[in-house]
Amino acid sequence: MPEFEDRELVELAKENPEAFGALYDRYFPQIYRFAYSRVRDQSLAEDVTSEVFFKALKNIKRYTYSGHPFSSWLYQITLNAVADHYRGAAGKEVELEEGASVPSGEPTVVDEVVRRDRSRRVWAAIDQLPPQQRVAMVLKFAEDRKIEEIAHIMKKSSGAVKLLLHRGVERLRRELPPLEAELGLP
Amino acid sequence: MMNDPELQEIFTDPAHQEVLDMLNASRPAAPPLDPHFRSYLRAKLMTEAQRTLGPRASRSWFPFRFTPNALAPAMAAVAAGFIVVLGVEIYLHNQTSSTGSLVAVDTRQINNKTDIATVEPIKIPFSGPVDKAAVEASVQIEPATSVTKQWDGNTLVIVPDHPLASNTTYTVTLKPKSAAPNTNPGNPTVTPKPTVAPTPVVVHFTTTPAPVTQALPPSFKSSTVNWRHDDRLASPSTILNGSWTPAGQLLVTRPAGQPGPGTATSPSPSASPAGSGTTDVWLMTAKGTPLRDLAQGATLPSAAPTGGLFASWSLSWSNQASLQIRDLYGNLVSTVATVDGVPDRPAVWVGADRVAYVDHGTLRIAGLHTPVSIKTTRVDHGSLAGSPDGQFLAAQSSDGSMVIDLATGASRTRLPQGATGFAWSTKGDLAFLVPRDGVTDLYLLSDVRWVRIASSSAGQTWSDLNWAPDAASLLMASTSTGSSGSTSSLLLINRDGSNPTGFGAPQQAYVSPQWSPGGDLVLFVRRDDATGATAFWTATAVPSASDAAEQQALAEVNAFMQARMHGDRTAAQAELDDAGRAAYQAGSLSLLSPAGTTFDRYYPVTVQLTASNPTRFLVGIRIFVAKAGVETSFFEEQLTLVQHDQKYLIDAASASATMPVGHGPTVVSVQTTQTGSREQVRVRFDADLNPSTVSNDTIKVKDHQGNDVSEQVSFDADNHLATLNVGLRPGTYQLVVTTGITDINGVAVAQEYDAPLVISR
Repeated sequence: MPEFEDRELVELAKENPEAFGALYDRYFPQIYRFAYSRVRDQSLAEDVTSEVFFKALKNIKRYTYSGHPFSSWLYQITLNAVADHYRGAAGKEVELEEGASVPSGEPTVVDEVVRRDRSRRVWAAIDQLPPQQRVAMVLKFAEDRKIEEIAHIMKKSSGAVKLLLHRGVERLRRELPPLEAELGLP
Repeated sequence: MMNDPELQEIFTDPAHQEVLDMLNASRPAAPPLDPHFRSYLRAKLMTEAQRTLGPRASRSWFPFRFTPNALAPAMAAVAAGFIVVLGVEIYLHNQTSSTGSLVAVDTRQINNKTDIATVEPIKIPFSGPVDKAAVEASVQIEPATSVTKQWDGNTLVIVPDHPLASNTTYTVTLKPKSAAPNTNPGNPTVTPKPTVAPTPVVVHFTTTPAPVTQALPPSFKSSTVNWRHDDRLASPSTILNGSWTPAGQLLVTRPAGQPGPGTATSPSPSASPAGSGTTDVWLMTAKGTPLRDLAQGATLPSAAPTGGLFASWSLSWSNQASLQIRDLYGNLVSTVATVDGVPDRPAVWVGADRVAYVDHGTLRIAGLHTPVSIKTTRVDHGSLAGSPDGQFLAAQSSDGSMVIDLATGASRTRLPQGATGFAWSTKGDLAFLVPRDGVTDLYLLSDVRWVRIASSSAGQTWSDLNWAPDAASLLMASTSTGSSGSTSSLLLINRDGSNPTGFGAPQQAYVSPQWSPGGDLVLFVRRDDATGATAFWTATAVPSASDAAEQQALAEVNAFMQARMHGDRTAAQAELDDAGRAAYQAGSLSLLSPAGTTFDRYYPVTVQLTASNPTRFLVGIRIFVAKAGVETSFFEEQLTLVQHDQKYLIDAASASATMPVGHGPTVVSVQTTQTGSREQVRVRFDADLNPSTVSNDTIKVKDHQGNDVSEQVSFDADNHLATLNVGLRPGTYQLVVTTGITDINGVAVAQEYDAPLVISR
């Protein structure tokens, strides 16, 4: 969709409920999907998505175009909403960070998904990444966001995002068995 | 291969290539999604957007491209010629698009509104024909509320049988169904079937807050009542007479054929026994919305003080009039008298089961259950008024004015010569007027002694006496006659005759004032500015708070709650003293809402004065917790406020268990008032209750040892109000409402309700 449509629709939505509804229709799928990717729980994803759009509605009049797509703003709100949730659930966020390293004794990512096809396994492996890497990976590879936009969403520099992506991909490379091995090739 | 230059810049090691290829070639599995969630959230957002964003702009932006799935029905409706706006739920895709019979239901007028009047009908418009019977049958309302369903064209009008509860969020659910087409001329073999909406339409709204049930009720003394503004009830000549019901609705006489909330019940001229040109008695809201036609061909209604009945005269072709007693749904209870000719005054209730009327100049009394005989008394056009307890009748007879004691039948108290304009107060005092020599004297009869308490100025005539609800003052019309004619205004004067004060807009002629039972409105008659014709109006009256300390304490509670609702811990803590802070730090209470939730709203349930030195109040507040913008639960906190220097601070607090919303009837207010040496505990509910479940077994007052000390429970179904009469010594008691109480649908109170009662006198 052309950029100007997005911007003009946002301006309309500052005064017009119907335009806001159109924004909701446009962005609900990706925000819900992104929320779910962060919380991995349907009910929580619903709560986060609700919060995102209600906050967007509440603050839409203060939104100003900053050179990034409107969706960046929604992604930012989503990240904040998820963070708020984990702040409320004491220690959960820390647990996720610590859980980034697959605990010994637990099935490895590969063990766990051995029966699945390879493309699904790679996304399951992304779920096991540390949160910051996971956000960057999902925004880049699931949501097709540009690095600059991801940086804006995550409030990081482009370089930091590149580093997160690099580490994420490197980790996947290490934890996924080589294609040759899976195919039984020497 | 990798085509993204950004990735090419980051990943130069070929070892990463396989992972990148997989990532680029696949997407994560679609997350699970409740198919209703998206539309549910959208409806919620749109309602909020309608409320918070500016007025709807023009639709010039509509040509933008939208996500097709969500807006396809709306666009289709536009194409079909309907105006579709958000907040409207499209629920029927009909038979063929060429018929254009796509129907929408518009919930914008009411959905998620938080200021819905408790006495107004609920209107839900549809954009096209629906199966009305099916829609009516599908209507469900929570909390349980008995309603009458009517139609005004394609608008469903839901008329609550009693006023709704204040401070209450209602949920109306209905499942629309399209009307089946009559025929299909193009293809008579094809008869499309009615289509049922895929999901129910759910409407939420919250009623207006009730006045806080104050520890010290407001005073209606003349110096404390403020007139605010007038509102015309209806066009001139469309209301011929009117009076209040005890529930704060109006009984009015309207010319036959006037429209109602639903055309289905609007009387046709032929439906009226007396034909066109006659009148009907209607139940009307205080805002002038006609609710239902109660008696066709009837006039001059008067409401019983209790019991939900009214009397009116029903006229017949044979030049006779029947005095009929009906309930407030229009059901005929009894015809108690028939007279020749057309009566010119309403019957007068004497208690809840007797009515006095005048038959060709002779006073008669009819009992609803037993006949009543009194000594023959000629009244003609003189004043008549019955005491609220039903024992006395004040009458201006040809033999003089008197008070008849109906208990003894014969005993009479003589009043001054010419006494007229009788008005009984709720406390049993009789006020009356005596005109003499160009002035009018105002008298008060109390305990069989009458005394003159005030007199008008020369050339000024007083009339139309009416007591304020608390019997602290009297409102009356004051007419001055000068060279340019006469002008009438309203005068408010204290019970002892002091401080006569003008009431109402300047330069307006007011007559026939009647206080509403709650005291917030005055019904009166005055000339309409635009047309010059006479019309019925209501004036808004606001008694000032009689207790500044209580107002100050409540203001601190409000500041405390506003801070909590906005997540401002610092501001909230500023309303706590050391003991209060300790209470909230102890762990059982939460100053701010739990993560992922918000404190959405609150209202005071009880306000009690627990000590006067230093001044202490106990305020019970109900707090609603919302999740994702939807109220899901509530709990109650008891806050003790203590005066520190010039400011009230919260010194102690306790909280009830959290309850989910929408699970059976709940208590919405508790008020304790002193009546003589006894206490009245008034417990108001949010739902229409099964009266048989309201008893001493289900509502109790217990002392500190747990002994049941309540004696008598009465129940006013019209107001969802249970009243306990108890004799209590100073101390702390507990109100207990058990789960034995059920609403009209048989749903029980979900959890026993306990609240402290403090008797401090």
